[in-house]
Amino acid sequence: MDRNSIIQDLKPIFRDVLDLEDLNLVAESNATNVDGWDSLAHVNLVVAIEKHYRIKFALGELQGLKKVGEMADLIAKKLAKA
Amino acid sequence: MNEYRWADLTLGLRARFEADITDASMAAFAEMSGDVNPLHTDDAFAVARGFPGRVAFGMLASSFYSTLVGIHLPGKYALLHGIDIEMKSPAFVGDRLTVSGEIVHLTDAYQRLEIKASIVNANGKTISKAKIRAGVHEP
Repeated sequence: MDRNSIIQDLKPIFRDVLDLEDLNLVAESNATNVDGWDSLAHVNLVVAIEKHYRIKFALGELQGLKKVGEMADLIAKKLAKA
Repeated sequence: MNEYRWADLTLGLRARFEADITDASMAAFAEMSGDVNPLHTDDAFAVARGFPGRVAFGMLASSFYSTLVGIHLPGKYALLHGIDIEMKSPAFVGDRLTVSGEIVHLTDAYQRLEIKASIVNANGKTISKAKIRAGVHEP
């Protein structure tokens, strides 16, 4: 899967976890420009993404991520290895 | 009290204990919460509505999910993040409840566990089901 299709895939997950029905998730979306994306929501997002793709993240992989596009790239990398 | 640390936890790990709904716990919960609805405080009112007696506060019975996490699974190092509760049947004063839970997901990156839990009465009737999210904050 490429970055854009993963972001489309992530959209309903983010909408559900953050309870934002109209959220328009894009590659540049991040914790400062998306309402309600606080630390606990972030944990909930990571858990939901792990479950959705049946992948596991290491803390070190997540700490460097600054925006949704980078998260999508990491997911793509993990899916390619699976 | 259990003292599970993150490294001790595995998928499928379970805990189970019994807890009672008593007059004293009902009175304490009414006092603490301010919920003095007669369904919970007046036997005659509850019976007139078709129940065998006062209905236990749903949140009192559900408070045992807190006990499940804080005392049993994982215990001492737990921090509750959230619970989704589905109430299935009422509990009543005098009921002995069995609370059980099983770890169904572990997120290593944030030391977050998810527990599938339920509370049943002495007749095996399900009082509620819950999905619990908790962290492990060990020293």
